[in-house]
Amino acid sequence: MTPQETCSILNPRLLRIKMSYKMARSVSGSKLSDLIKYDMRYPLYQLGNPQLRIFRPTFNLTLVRPGKEQPPETVQFRIPMEMTKFDVRNYLEKIYSVPVAAVRTRIQYCTNKKRNHSNQRVKRPDYKVAYVQLAQQQTFQFPDIFPEKDKQHEEGSVEEMQEKFMEDERQRQKSDPRRGGVTEWFGL
Amino acid sequence: MSAAVTSRLTAAVCRQFQRVVTVSSYTQPQSATQAFSKLHLCQRSQTYDSWWFRSSVNNRALHTSCVRRGLEEFFDLPENWGEQTVKSGAPWTAKQLRVKSNEDLHRLWYVLLKEKNMLLTLEQESKRQRLPMPSPERLKKVERSMKRLDTVVTEREDALRLLQTGQERGRPGEWRRNVFGKTFWYRFKEHPIPWYLNSRYKRRRFFEPSHVAPYTRLSLEKYLRSKIRKEKREKRSQERLATIFPKKTALA
Repeated sequence: MTPQETCSILNPRLLRIKMSYKMARSVSGSKLSDLIKYDMRYPLYQLGNPQLRIFRPTFNLTLVRPGKEQPPETVQFRIPMEMTKFDVRNYLEKIYSVPVAAVRTRIQYCTNKKRNHSNQRVKRPDYKVAYVQLAQQQTFQFPDIFPEKDKQHEEGSVEEMQEKFMEDERQRQKSDPRRGGVTEWFGL
Repeated sequence: MSAAVTSRLTAAVCRQFQRVVTVSSYTQPQSATQAFSKLHLCQRSQTYDSWWFRSSVNNRALHTSCVRRGLEEFFDLPENWGEQTVKSGAPWTAKQLRVKSNEDLHRLWYVLLKEKNMLLTLEQESKRQRLPMPSPERLKKVERSMKRLDTVVTEREDALRLLQTGQERGRPGEWRRNVFGKTFWYRFKEHPIPWYLNSRYKRRRFFEPSHVAPYTRLSLEKYLRSKIRKEKREKRSQERLATIFPKKTALA
């Protein structure tokens, strides 16, 4: 794939990733340089300028299961705060080749009310949610990623021995079945 | 498509997988590598044979009108759903990445990006279902690989810029003095208007007022004093050690 095909065309508005000092401090020391490094300023756009093209976008999209029931063609994402509707559309169309009909976004404000052990207020980070409606009458249902699986451990493995041990323990803890469910509290 | 997905996953983290994966298989699906050609069942772009339909678990009431090939990449292979651990290779090192061409690095960036999106989706879903995420170390591996890729690309860009223009930095700047008398590297910003029409910029004051000059002198003296004290301390400790462990006994 040539760079021309894969580059995502982002909205040519001036973006600045605001790294507040508090946020920088909360992250481990090794990451501080990353935050500063990714403090990008896109070139200023004036009428007549060429289309801004970004190689190697740093935006990450998270597909989430909707909390409320959504129409079948709607997909819900958590996106970085700096992304816009145009960015989301171009991102999905160019990188994932998903036909997008409409994108709506909102910012979820998360609480600053919670307190930690030293009674300092702890902020839960805000995030932006995008509701993407697919084109061409496509539908999407969030799958069940954690299905129940019957594991069959191989013979002589550590897991099998552990399972056997746990089973024996459970058997030993159980009360005498001849008592018919009566607890040990009742004497004799 | 699944061939691209599997090969994408292995290329993302497996450092042994040196061959380039063509991610541009959306318009013309090609066999990514010979190793995975047996999984690549369909050559035509019209029909799709995704894991969504092949696996028996997911043959419940599904909508069949959809092409969710794109959105399938937000999830792992169906064989790994429900597993406690998922195998993954080592992250890419900078040394390995320096060997790659620019086009390869560009493709790898998007492979890693998609892998990271998949892992973030998995993490969020595991939080929602209150279950442990299988193999969370994959996220760290991908992040490190992406960071190293970025390092390599910036190295190349810096070298090119130095050769072509002689500029050390991509973004121009200069040393300036702020109101507190401290000298710092000011990085230029793009403005649509000149600085003398920018009232907010003029309020910033990149000069040191006259009443601040004594304090800069004091801080300079403090800094010099601490430097000299440190050197003297070092010298004193070395002399003390020399008296305790004289050179004659060491040689003898």
